[in-house]
Formats: sequence, structure tokens, C-alpha cells
Amino acid sequence: MTRLDARRAVAAVVALAVLAAAGGAGQAAPVAPRLPDIPVPKVSEGGPGIRGGTLVVSTISDPKTFNVVVAQETSSSAAVGPVFEGLVEEHGETTEVEPAMAESWSVSPDGRTWTFNLRQGIKWFDGKPFTADDVVFTFDALYDPKVINSFADVLTMGGKKIAYKKVDAHTVQFITPTPFGPFLRTIGIPIIPRHKLEAAYKAGKFMQTWGVNTPPREIVGTGPFMLTKYEPAQRLTYERNPNYWRVSKAGTRLPYLDRMVRLIVPNVETARLKFQAGETDVYGIRGREFSAFKRDAARGNYSVYEGGPGFGIEFITFNQNPRGAKPPKLGWFSNVKFRQAVAHAIDRQRLINQVHAGRAVPQYGPESPANKLFFNPNTRQYPYDPKRAEALLKETGLSRGQDGKLRDAQSNPVEFELNTSAGSSDAEATSRIIKDNLEALGMKVNFLPRDFNLLVSKLDASFDWDAIYIGLTGGVDPHNGRNVYHSTGSLHFWNPRQKQPATPWEAEMDRVFDGAASTVDQARRRQRYNRYQEIIAEQLPVIPTVQSLGQTAVRNTLGNIRYTNYGGALWNIWDIYRKR
Amino acid sequence: MLRYVLRRLLQMVPVLLWMTMITFMVMQLAPGDYFTNLQLNPQISRETLDRIRHTLGLDQPWYIQYVQWLWSIVRLDFGFSFAWQVPVAWLLGSRMVNTLLLSLTSMTAAWMLAIPLGIYAATRQYRPGDHLLTVLALIGISVPGFFAALLLLYVAFYTGWLPIGGMTSPNFDLLSPLGRVLDVTHHLVLPTIVLGVLSVAGLMRQLRGNMLDVLRQDYVRMARAKGLAERAVIYKHALRNALNPLVTIFGYELGGLLSGAALVEGVIGWPGLGQLTLEAVLKKDLYLIMGSVLMGGFMLQMGNLAGDIMLAYLDPRIRYE
Repeated sequence: MTRLDARRAVAAVVALAVLAAAGGAGQAAPVAPRLPDIPVPKVSEGGPGIRGGTLVVSTISDPKTFNVVVAQETSSSAAVGPVFEGLVEEHGETTEVEPAMAESWSVSPDGRTWTFNLRQGIKWFDGKPFTADDVVFTFDALYDPKVINSFADVLTMGGKKIAYKKVDAHTVQFITPTPFGPFLRTIGIPIIPRHKLEAAYKAGKFMQTWGVNTPPREIVGTGPFMLTKYEPAQRLTYERNPNYWRVSKAGTRLPYLDRMVRLIVPNVETARLKFQAGETDVYGIRGREFSAFKRDAARGNYSVYEGGPGFGIEFITFNQNPRGAKPPKLGWFSNVKFRQAVAHAIDRQRLINQVHAGRAVPQYGPESPANKLFFNPNTRQYPYDPKRAEALLKETGLSRGQDGKLRDAQSNPVEFELNTSAGSSDAEATSRIIKDNLEALGMKVNFLPRDFNLLVSKLDASFDWDAIYIGLTGGVDPHNGRNVYHSTGSLHFWNPRQKQPATPWEAEMDRVFDGAASTVDQARRRQRYNRYQEIIAEQLPVIPTVQSLGQTAVRNTLGNIRYTNYGGALWNIWDIYRKR
Repeated sequence: MLRYVLRRLLQMVPVLLWMTMITFMVMQLAPGDYFTNLQLNPQISRETLDRIRHTLGLDQPWYIQYVQWLWSIVRLDFGFSFAWQVPVAWLLGSRMVNTLLLSLTSMTAAWMLAIPLGIYAATRQYRPGDHLLTVLALIGISVPGFFAALLLLYVAFYTGWLPIGGMTSPNFDLLSPLGRVLDVTHHLVLPTIVLGVLSVAGLMRQLRGNMLDVLRQDYVRMARAKGLAERAVIYKHALRNALNPLVTIFGYELGGLLSGAALVEGVIGWPGLGQLTLEAVLKKDLYLIMGSVLMGGFMLQMGNLAGDIMLAYLDPRIRYE
């Protein structure tokens, strides 16, 4: 051991002693917990835990990059999830926005200027301090047209960027072109270190920097865990960040765990066996495995946590685009009564039982019931009712003849094609049941699963389709769905990129989305988005089917697990500890 | 011989050109590209994607893109993967050794078992031993690899004798050098059984058939008639002649050493090339696909060449001049 090492070891022992003393004092008298180098650490609300231990989880595929700004998919963003953090974060249970690397913030009366006070004392893994320069650099990079990322478009309002500037080393200011309602929820992008990446960025090589061929020690963040090793197609290994800025109520510096391992297991069955054999600690249970996992929980020494409905949406949509759909189909599909009849004809209980093994709930509006902040429960409901469906079809002029076939007034038989993405077994099973439901009304539905790329080109370019069953992921703020529900949106499936709203209800929806985007008062935004959910549930441009429920199994040797469908089992990774 | 080898090496160039051109054309003529997937991401605008396509030259006709790709290959630049944003050469290199290790062990296992079993079956034609091997061979040929892999993983799970997939244990780094070798060996058992033992069947039946043909030849009868020991008849005279077609198969298998077995690798979680290539094809990660096609084609041709050279050495009747 060199002399320097010896000194460091002594310092570490002293620090531990100080921490232990602070912990003891914290229990005796409720004083705000402190950390020696962070003036205002974030105090975690989690229960007490024990330091040490390793957490092992499995993941289905390799990260594609460690560059968190350009990461496009969950396999990459999850891999660097414990390494990078934003100014603000979403609480895994309440989904509310909370301070993270920013200690606090304020907004000007006109709702356009946001001032963030950065938490002082935060260090990058290599010991350099985190400052306003890093925040400015992160925004420089993501607004750069050469840097392809999914943050820039969200942070652009009517073609204008958010202005940002460093006020002093620990203060950053953002000025939005107009008041921007979803601001806080979009500003929590992961911050990257300027001192590590600026050279590559200036050389125009940002996209290729921090690829998976980078030595992990170079991947410098501020999060609870540091990436220490990546073995392609095998595993990622993390070690505890000893300088993390979060502290427990008792004054212990978080995180509790020493190490974390993410095994890359491309096959779900293998991942399941690994969990059952005790090699991993967490397993995301599929709906049809739910009862078996519940039954074996005691024997396997794990608990099954139920997280409720998810945040995405699965729906069937009909082509109402005059640039693609032809009469007479265009006439049927753009009649709201036709779509309402379809909504009543779908037997959602059958979908729940047969496709999701009981682990789903019906959904009638565009937002999931899981969205505590924005879900509107008072929208029109469409319980399974074939009689009502038949009556609605009659009102649109479609009726069944002697041969049982449904025909319109010009006696065209109602026949159309239903597509979904080939290879997605749940979507295919759901489409078959919907086909069955609709054929019971006398329609002829030709179900053809299609290659995903072909489906996209139909939806986005040729507009040559009748009906499509598809799903979208969702988030908390309905603004995320702007591209779907605003009439100018490119994902406005039924009639995308309109110059002028084609219908009065689409015009109203545009006003709702534009209004809510430029309102900062969250209560007023909620009201506007309530209206949007009413319109969609009434007009049904997309007909939602069911929302699957989330469930996961976690080994009983782990403590402080607070699984939610939104945040997953590890959203509070800093609080999780290994029981002894 | 040298001239022959040189000629064969030169012939590889047009074959590889043709092969890569067809692959490139098929990839580009099918609808969509790698970025089509992002088109349904509400957070990325069409303009952004169009800009990316333009930057990467994906909006140009396929033949221009092909020529550009070819030009970079000439300069030994395999390009960047769209999905990974790292050089294709690094990606292939990071998994090559793992695939090679698995292919070599399973190939060795297959041949070590297939040759004796084939001889055994041929010399005991229609006797119980031969019938038993025929049944086993049929089972081996008909069970799909990924299914066998899954079954064996369940066996590993219930017995605890073998690790459940992967190539190394999580504590691999803490092991001694010998411990590491043992750890990898332990992990190799299961995929070797799946890929090696199951392919014994085909080889064994092939050798059995060849042996039976040869054993009916006049020179074998002649050898027996002049009183040679049965051992010498079989191993010295019959086997050497029966092996010829298998040497050609061996050459093919050499060529496939780096192809990987995508499905089995996926189930077992073996960090090999097969899984990487399969994912690339599914996502239309163009340059990664082209890189592995080029590598696969090159290996196949080299394997064939090696097989032909071996044939010339083993069989004095074959000469290439």
C-alpha cells in the first residue's frame, strides 16, 4: 500500500465514524440529516436499510450506447439509468415532479422564465464538480441538429427552442418562447459532464462518443451507481457511488447497495428460470404466469407485487383520411355512430380473459386510469352490448339482409381489412377476437397481420389501409400525445398532418392541446385535458380496448421495494437494501 | 497447388461482390429502413428523421449507396452500426471469439462421436445396435435446436448440475485463471450438447451410408479374401475411401464456424454473433448486416477451399493441376 492509499483509508474510516455518529444522533433527535460535502442533500422518504450487498437483475437485450442523450430505446436508457440524472425527477408512486440535481426552482409571474438552483457539492464520478456549465452543455448538445435524440422535439415549441443560460456556477435560467405547461416534466433530461464530452462534441463526433466500446470508467455521471464493467451480451456491473447526494432519514449516505449486476438474458423463459433458481432478484411476470407465481411465492422466497394498469394505450383505428380511404368505406369510417357501434361490439371481458389471463382492465378513453394526475373517469363508456351496436349501425344506414350480411344503403356489403403488426402475439390474438365480434354483426373483416415497417409506411405515407390495431406507449402528461391527437400531428393516424382541422371536434381538440400547452397552472391544464378525454371517448378516432396490469416478483431478501407499473421495481434504487 | 490456391482466392472476389450486391439490393428494396421504427415514436418528428436519412445518405438510390459501402470496404472500413453507433468491426470482434469457442467445441464433439458411431453402425448393419443408433439419429435430426436448449435448461434448473445459460458466472472476474477455464467449460457443456451432439446424427448417418457403399466394393472383398485382418480392412481400406464426402462437409462446417446459431444462442444467452446478426436483420441495421454477410461469405469460401486442399492430401487420386 502506498502512503497516499493509506491516508485515503484513514480518511474513509473517519468518515464512516462521523456517519455512524450522525446516524445515532438522527435517531435520538429529529435533526435534518446532513452529509459533510453536500450542504443540502435530498433526504429520501424510504424506510431504514442496511449498507452492503449486491442486486442482480436480468434484462432482455444489450445497451446500444452509453450516451444517454442519444439513447433511443429502453435497453440503453435503463442501462445508464442509475448513472445519469436530471435537474428534476418524477416520483415513482405519485408521478409528481420533484427536485433532484436542482435543489429548488422558481417561475416568473408570466410563466416563461424558470430559474433553477443547482444542488451544491455534487461531484461527477471523476471528482470534478457539477455546475451550471454542464447543464448548458447538455442543452447545447441536444439542440444540435447533428445530434439525433428524442428530447429536442419535445423541448421545441412551434419551431422555437427554449432559451437557456448560466446565471452563476449554481444557477441556470430557462426562458420558454411562450408559457409552456409541460415544462417541468420535460426538463428532467439527464445531465452530461461537459469536461468529458466537449472535445468530442466540438469535433462533431458526439453521436459516436460513449458508444458501448468505451471503457466504462469513462462513463462519468452523478447517479447512485457507477458503471464499472460491460461484457457484451453477458452483463453490466455497477458499483456504489460513494459521493452520492441522497441521504436516508437516519443520516446514512445512500445508496445502501454496494454492487448491482444486470445480466443480459435474451430469452424470457431463461430469465424466468434464472429468477426461479435464485440467480436474479427481480422478474417481470407476464399476465398468464401470474397465478403460478403467486402460488409458488412462499417456496421461492419472493413476493408478487401488483402495480395496477400501465400507461400505454392499445386501440383499433379506422381510416378517415380522404387522401387514402375510398367511398363507400370512407363514409362508414367517418361516421361516429359506426365507430361507437364498434366500441360497443368489442367484448373486452373476453379480451381480458383470453389474451391477458385476467390481468387487464377495460379502457374507454385515451388516458389510462393509472394516470392519477390527468385521468378523467367521467367519459363515455362502451360496455359490451351487441344489441346497442346493431341499433347504432342501423342509425348510420347499415342493416343486415336476409343472408345475415351487413350492407349500406347502396347495398355494398360492409367488408374491410384489419391489420396489425405481425409477430406480436397479443395484438394478433386481440385482433382475432375483434374480428369475431364484428363478424357477429354481419361485417366481413379480413384480418391480415403485416410487417411492422409496411404498417408504418401505410399509416405514414400511402394512407392505404382500412383498420389497424396498434399500441402506443404513454407518459403522465397528455402533452406527450400531441403528435397523435392534434390535427397537424404526424401520428394523427386516422387523418394525419391536416392543414385545417377536418371536423369541428378536431378543431376543438387542437384548441385544447394548444391551450393546455401554453398554460402553466396545472389545475387549469387538468380541466382542458379532461375535455380532450371526453371528446376522444365520444368521437372515438381511436377505440381503446384494454389496459394490461403490471406485476413483478421480487426476492424477499430485498427491502424497501415500492413497485409501481409506472416506475418499475427499481425506481427508488437508492433506498433498496439487502436484508441480513 | 499454389497456382490453384491463388486462382481460387481470385475467384472469391466476384462471388463476394455478387453476394453482397444482392443482399444490399434486397435489404434496400424491402419497405422501410432502420429509422422506420422511430417514425411511430411521438417524440421524434418526421423532419428529424428525414434529416438523419439525408446525413447518412439513406435517401439515395441503393446502387449509389452500395458503391459507397464497397469503397469503404476497400479501405477496410466496415462502417458504423445504426443501432449501436459503434464501428461494425468492433461489434463483430466483441463476439467473434465466443462464437468460435462454441463452434469449435461443438464441432469437435460432433465429429469425435459421429465417426466411431458411423463405423459401428455400418459394420453392424440391421443389428440392434444399428437400429438403436438409427432411432437416436432420427430424434437428433427432428428435435429443433432451440427446443432442445430450452429442455436442457429445465434439466439444469431441476438438477442444479449445470448453469442456467450464459458463458461465465457473475463472479468470473474474481476467479483464478484455472477457475475461469473451469467456469467457461462448465457453461459450455449445455450448448455443446445442443449444437454438437444433436448434429452427430446427420454426420453419423452420412458416414454409415458411405461405409456401407465402400464395404460392398470389390477391393474390400479382395482385401478380405487375401486374409487381411478385419480391423485393417475397415480402418485402412474402407474408412479412408468412405471419408471423402465427409471432408467436403468438414470444409463447409469450417466455413460456418463464425455463423453462429442465433436461436440456440438466444435461448442459452451465449454472447455470440448469431444473436447479434439476427437482431440486425430484424431491425434492418444495414451495415452490420453487410459486415456479417461479408464475413460469413468469406469464411464459407475459405472453408471450402480448406476442404478441397485437405481432400487432395487425403486422396492421392485427386489433383488440381
